[in-house]
Amino acid sequence: MIEIKNVTKKYGNKIAVNNVSFNVNDGDIFAFIGHNGAGKTTLIKSIVGIHDFDSGEILINGKSIIKEPEECKKIMAFVPDNPVTYEHMKAIDYINFICDMYETDTKIREENIKKYAKIFEMEDKLNDTIDSYSHGMKQKVVLIAALAHNPQILIMDEPFVGLDPKAVFDVKKILNEMVKDNKIIFYSTHILDVAEKLCSRVAIIKDGNLVKSGSMKEIKGDKSLEKVFMELEEDK
Amino acid sequence: MRRLYSLIKACLTNDMSIFKINTKKKNKFSSLAPILISLYLMFMIWCSANTIFEKLKPFNLQYIVLSLSIISISAMTLIEGVYKSSALIFNCKDDILLLSLPIKKRTILFIRILKFYIFEFLFNSMFLLPFMIAYIRWGLNITWTYYLTCFTMLLLSPIIPIIVSCIIGIIIANISSYFKYKNLVQIIISMSLILGILFLSFNSETILNYIIKNATNINDLITKIYYPAGVFSSLVTNFKISELLLFILINIITFIISLFILSKFYFKINSRLKNVIVSKKNKNIKSLNIEKKSQTRALIKKELNTFFSTPVFIINAGFALVLFLILVVIISLKSDYIINLLVDKNTGLGISKNIINNNISIFVYILISLTAYMTSITNSSISLEGKNIQIIKSLPIKSKTILQSKILAPLIITTPIFIIGDLILIIKLKIKILEAILLLILSILIPLVSHYIGLIVNLKYPKFDWENTSEVVKQSMSSFIAVTIGMVLFIISYITITKFIGHISSISILIISIIAYIIIDIMLHIYIVTRGSKIFNKLNSY
Repeated sequence: MIEIKNVTKKYGNKIAVNNVSFNVNDGDIFAFIGHNGAGKTTLIKSIVGIHDFDSGEILINGKSIIKEPEECKKIMAFVPDNPVTYEHMKAIDYINFICDMYETDTKIREENIKKYAKIFEMEDKLNDTIDSYSHGMKQKVVLIAALAHNPQILIMDEPFVGLDPKAVFDVKKILNEMVKDNKIIFYSTHILDVAEKLCSRVAIIKDGNLVKSGSMKEIKGDKSLEKVFMELEEDK
Repeated sequence: MRRLYSLIKACLTNDMSIFKINTKKKNKFSSLAPILISLYLMFMIWCSANTIFEKLKPFNLQYIVLSLSIISISAMTLIEGVYKSSALIFNCKDDILLLSLPIKKRTILFIRILKFYIFEFLFNSMFLLPFMIAYIRWGLNITWTYYLTCFTMLLLSPIIPIIVSCIIGIIIANISSYFKYKNLVQIIISMSLILGILFLSFNSETILNYIIKNATNINDLITKIYYPAGVFSSLVTNFKISELLLFILINIITFIISLFILSKFYFKINSRLKNVIVSKKNKNIKSLNIEKKSQTRALIKKELNTFFSTPVFIINAGFALVLFLILVVIISLKSDYIINLLVDKNTGLGISKNIINNNISIFVYILISLTAYMTSITNSSISLEGKNIQIIKSLPIKSKTILQSKILAPLIITTPIFIIGDLILIIKLKIKILEAILLLILSILIPLVSHYIGLIVNLKYPKFDWENTSEVVKQSMSSFIAVTIGMVLFIISYITITKFIGHISSISILIISIIAYIIIDIMLHIYIVTRGSKIFNKLNSY
């Protein structure tokens, strides 16, 4: 479970995230939506321990990301908005490196690497250096690395950007499988129709403030998620 | 013109941010340290310049020092430029952006060379300005023409070495672009060229004798050695506006013609360098190497991977190590000749043969110190993470483990080289077993200090938003401060060691040094795992 309690993050005088609180429960696929610069990436980076924050608390399965960062990170995987990797490495070396950091057992990583490399059609490409890849291929490598160590919580920032339609379909399938195992998926997105179909819960952030949070049904009612989002955007 | 101004402004704003003083920072010393260190260095150069001018005053030859300063700084720019230029002008991160804009390709190359020029201009000014200021006190007939000459020299002196090194850089890049292992080819050619230039400069007696024979006077002699230096001494002693204008014209025309010619090849080579040759082997998933390593081992492997895939990083760090091995070979082949040189009162230090024979291990120790302090690998290892700092910070590893891996990786690189060099010298110079063991211990402890200091400086002055690796390895505030600290530490340790020679035995000097270095290493280690980890946790590339 992820518990976000009264989190505030400032950049100088600018408040990027203002007193935000919500929970993400086990088995949730949670969509985190908002316009550009609303504070999504800032909050995500705070959850995964890249940023610190000025006040509040973030608990991962009851442990504080500030006080016990390693313990929290051990059960999480993060897919950033840009597929940042060590480009001079071979893809397989990069994936192995990430697995080493999570101390993943050889058997588990071997099974997962083979499984996800096959799904993303990357089996014959993992021995090449990442700098020879397209944006989408890099994103696939980042996804394979994130999934290879069997994370309990998967946190993604705009995961579908740059992926081909088949890969988007495959990712959605993988996420649904993970949720069946009671895992947590928390991701930010601008593709609202995918979020509407895929996610059980949603939070909408605007100018650093959480404006709505709840189950997908509660938030959108009879309307589409896009319509709800646009109405909130127009409420100045 | 307005478009060019906007482009220059956009490209340079990012780089020049390292010179901004962040007054919001709590620790104002950290912000002011680079300026204070630069001013201190300039003051030291100014003091040395005054001493030299004073000695030359009776002969009225002060102006020669100005010319020699131009020759020295130009040679340094050229040697550094040989390996820096290919990293600075090729494979820049903003290539995609700039090449997609409606800008002439020549303009893009101009921006790349301009960035190179600005950094060299600042670096050269730090060395030349103190000499120029000191000359005001010692020179004859200082008028406004002297200030005009100095200003012109400061502006134009980097141009010729930069152009020559850019031409060499483009040739190296062109050759390496045809190979699969581009980086390796680039490293071998650059290293050979630098060593070639050094070899030539130490063996240029024949050329110099020829020039001396054919020179009519001192100004003519300096002009024949290096044209800008000759013009400088000529303008300082006998100012002629026509000579100054001709010098300006020659520099500008050389720059424009070179830019025009280089731009003809630059983009073809740049795109060829981006071609990554995809492996045809191991296409089967079963052949993938999937093995588990400990966190520390995996991190060290990553660090070594970064090091060996960055040519400018290897050449920069490897230069002192290669020089060390060359010196080791020279010393072991010509040990008697070198000892005689040190003994000779006219050519050497005039040290008694007895002292040398009793303290031979101390001379090896000084050589190890010099190499270790010149080899600063860690001063850019945090910066080189770039945007990847996000990855590393999201992983379940302690910051101190990350920092320790950044210390251990360079130690793995430097230790074997020091051990090999040590063993050759130990056998050749017949150093006693106890002293040999102590030297081997020092070969680990001294580089460790250098690695710790480099890492601490980089933690204080990281630069994540770089366009190419050369910016962090050669031109960042972190590398400048770490190299300066290394130089100062070497001078301090050299003075301290030489003070003890002859007063206590060489074994005692080595044992005291080992104890001192163990204490320093422990203190630096504690700083890295406590305060250093906290600083690392706060780092962000945004």
